[in-house]
Amino acid sequence: MKTKGMEIFKRIVKIAVIPAGTLLLVFLLCSANGVKLFETEGNWILFFRATASVMLTTFALSLNLNSGRFDFSIGSIALLSSVISASICTSKGLPSAAMLVISIVAGAVLGLLSGGIYVIVKLPPIIVSLGVALFYEGLAFAVTNGYGVSFVANKELTSFPSVLHYALVILGGLFFFIFVFDYTQFGYDYKALLSGQKVSVNMGIKEIPNAVGCYVIAGALMGVVGFISATNTGTIQMALNFGSIGVMFTAFLPMFIGGFIGRFCNEKIGYLLGAVTTAFISLMYARLNVDSSIQQIVTALILVVFLIYLNNENKVIELVMLKKHLKKKTK
Amino acid sequence: MKKFLALLLAAVLSVSLLTGCGDENKGGTGGGNSSTTPNASGTESNDTNTGLDMSKTIKMGILVSDATSAEALAFRNYYTEYIQEHYNVELIYSDELTDAAGETSAIDTFITNNCQVIISFSSFDRAAQIQQCEDAGVYYAVATGTLTEEEYETYKTYEHYIGAIGPSLDVEFETGYNMAKHYLDQGKTNFAIFGGAIPYYTEMHIYRAAGMLTAMVEAGGEGANYKGATDKMSIIGQIFADGEVTTGEIGNINISGYVGGYDMDDAWFGKCAQMAQTPGLEVILAVGNGSDFFGTAAAGTDVLIASVDAYASSYGEAMEAGMLDYLAGKFSASIGPIFIASYRAALGSPIRTSEGNALALSQGYWIATSAEEFNTYYAVDSSVDSPAYTKELLDTLLTADYAAFEKFVSQYSFEEIQKMK
Repeated sequence: MKTKGMEIFKRIVKIAVIPAGTLLLVFLLCSANGVKLFETEGNWILFFRATASVMLTTFALSLNLNSGRFDFSIGSIALLSSVISASICTSKGLPSAAMLVISIVAGAVLGLLSGGIYVIVKLPPIIVSLGVALFYEGLAFAVTNGYGVSFVANKELTSFPSVLHYALVILGGLFFFIFVFDYTQFGYDYKALLSGQKVSVNMGIKEIPNAVGCYVIAGALMGVVGFISATNTGTIQMALNFGSIGVMFTAFLPMFIGGFIGRFCNEKIGYLLGAVTTAFISLMYARLNVDSSIQQIVTALILVVFLIYLNNENKVIELVMLKKHLKKKTK
Repeated sequence: MKKFLALLLAAVLSVSLLTGCGDENKGGTGGGNSSTTPNASGTESNDTNTGLDMSKTIKMGILVSDATSAEALAFRNYYTEYIQEHYNVELIYSDELTDAAGETSAIDTFITNNCQVIISFSSFDRAAQIQQCEDAGVYYAVATGTLTEEEYETYKTYEHYIGAIGPSLDVEFETGYNMAKHYLDQGKTNFAIFGGAIPYYTEMHIYRAAGMLTAMVEAGGEGANYKGATDKMSIIGQIFADGEVTTGEIGNINISGYVGGYDMDDAWFGKCAQMAQTPGLEVILAVGNGSDFFGTAAAGTDVLIASVDAYASSYGEAMEAGMLDYLAGKFSASIGPIFIASYRAALGSPIRTSEGNALALSQGYWIATSAEEFNTYYAVDSSVDSPAYTKELLDTLLTADYAAFEKFVSQYSFEEIQKMK
């Protein structure tokens, strides 16, 4: 019983070590500069918004990437779905809840189109997704005549940002993702295809509907990301020539962190904690007014160091064990 | 089957590139060079008044490094929807350029396309552009902005360098100065500054910020200074050295917040919101677009926002809603005179200064401080039937000498232009 309790404790420590360690570090950095990490409501809103946005992007990215489908189009789906929903809602005077629903539906449809093109043309997904990204960026530009959408004066739509709303988005997104991939036939098939595509197909699992389903879900999630981004400022800026791809890169660090944490708990919880970790870092950047060039260097360093660790984890453990062994011997 | 798939993918990519070109009447952007069909209704083919042979369609290449900002779209709209409709020209737009290598490549493409003139909105490497066009015997003009004095001295005698018309760095400085002074005169003392592209060392933004700081030094009382600097040049030098504006007190004026760059990530938007909600803040002075980035965060507070950009409908809405208080905007037709100078060069009647040098003329902004004022300016600026510089006005430049041309450009205020009509 004692051993089991100890195991659970150890597992909790392993799950929490990265986000808690990051929180401690950013807290100390802020304190050293005489700044409170969470001083105003705005700081909390930023933290929850970053967590929601990055978590959903990580879900959307990992969904296809884990199956070997590199999807560059997710940022353009967020862009175009928010353009569609914002245009409809501003012209019809609809509330933010309607904008959220339209964003999700538009994102899902755009994801369906993206997945449909992939399964029809059967070209490498990296190529297809680049074409789709250009297409959606161009479409968003054409729909708005290049001006984007601005609704800064629309108090109803710009009132969405709040801790409660973002917390609901986080919980809703997490429960949805866990439910679909851990408790439905679609999720079982997805996991079976992940572990062995040929065997799974021979067993009767239909890979094409599953792949298209993944694109649809990823699209819907990015629809929410587009909605969060648009309602934050009340403007949607246009992106051309792969300008929307940057959104995808925000999800890499949390995805790797999530993958690591996922060894000790549900991988989706790991992604959430990865998003929480990056949200702490984003908040620290904002609170300390860190220059963007330094931000990029720090973020890249964290990513590289983490990847080096993951790739050499066994060697690190061996080294630690060896040291312990030598210490014992000398005693 | 593979062939079919390859074709299908090619079609998808092609559609995406074409779709990026905006609507069917609006020229292209997004991928590949795109041209708009010439429609010179009302163009004299061989004008007896001007003595210029305008029967042949002149191809002009337009270099752009920005295809999505309000300013870039307004300029494009004026060229494609008005100029091209009234003059016998074909305007070919480049991709959205991102570096000097892209500029070189786009100019090569224009030359291959038999463009006689290149009008540039892109400034990654002006010197290389001018040299490349001179070597190729193609006319080159700077659409908006000006060269530095040093650059102008180097290139002013080049036969194919037409010149530059736009806000000089002195005008940019004045724009920032006047914006800050507008609020200092009202007794405001607590400011925040949005530095836009200052971290990327964009001169016009640095000069605008320097103008703001200079106005604060002047209004800050005895001994007021910005990090020890008290005059225009030393303040500009200080910003260049720091790559940012430093917060703090300038005499009895307080700069309580600063955000620069256009990172558009969570941390950056967090910084913007934090700055807009700084306790006691009265005014946000933006060297670029302010209301889009700070409007929502400042909503519900008494913080006033001042911007420098162009006349776009979204700014009108922001002004109506009280989210934008002051706009120094470029008017879209301001690029009309450089078009005429380029057109004349292509028709064999280039305009030069009395010393035979290229043009270097300065223009300023239209300032709107109320929604009514904005709407008056916007109605003219967005009109494709009767813009600020109509064909009738521009035609007077076809035969103008340098003095008349210079005078025309210098009368850029809204009232002066209306008087000319």
